[in-house]
Amino acid sequence: MRCKEKTLDTACLFLYDSTGDEIMEKIVQQGLLYDFYGELLTEHQRHIYEDVVMNDLSLSEIAQDQGISRQGVHDLIRRCDRILAGYEEKLHLVEKFASTKRLAAEIQNALDDYEIRKDPELLSRARRAAGQIAQIESR
Amino acid sequence: MVKMRLRRMGQKKAPFYRIVVSDSRSPRDGRFIEEIGTYDPNTDPSSIKFNEEAAKKWLANGAQPTETVAKLLKAAGIQ
Repeated sequence: MRCKEKTLDTACLFLYDSTGDEIMEKIVQQGLLYDFYGELLTEHQRHIYEDVVMNDLSLSEIAQDQGISRQGVHDLIRRCDRILAGYEEKLHLVEKFASTKRLAAEIQNALDDYEIRKDPELLSRARRAAGQIAQIESR
Repeated sequence: MVKMRLRRMGQKKAPFYRIVVSDSRSPRDGRFIEEIGTYDPNTDPSSIKFNEEAAKKWLANGAQPTETVAKLLKAAGIQ
């Protein structure tokens, strides 16, 4: 897993490793933001944003479908990106989710390893990760 | 026209995609002609699986990949 610098378009950390390609990272990231904050969009915004991030429709397909201009769809998507990124900037739910998930996996791996190697360092590692999870929620 | 596109599946907060071939006129109703692969960004590195034979067959028959699917085809060394 790797984090990338903020970009203007999504204004959010890319939390998932991908093909190392921005287009793929973008659709995954948009989908995650939509999972967390999508219900805060209007129904119209949700409908169109969903077509992009869940159904991989092109702007022209949506434009045709909705009877609006391609530019109009483009602007709407950009606006939704900004709204969702704004929520993430304030609430950090996606970031917290990803960190918790990563740390939980670390605990799991350390304990699995411990069963085999009985190395006490693995227990300390698990404890540290558990401590970090507790901190995430108290930040 | 026939398109190759991603379709996000699975639960919320656990992104997972099917790569499907579908008619461009029915993008939203969930119907698709054939599943030709999957894309899982949860693994590190992300896993891309294609049924290469099917993918090549559809490309040869003029199926249009979306921008994202084109990237995956390239990453998988198919196109």
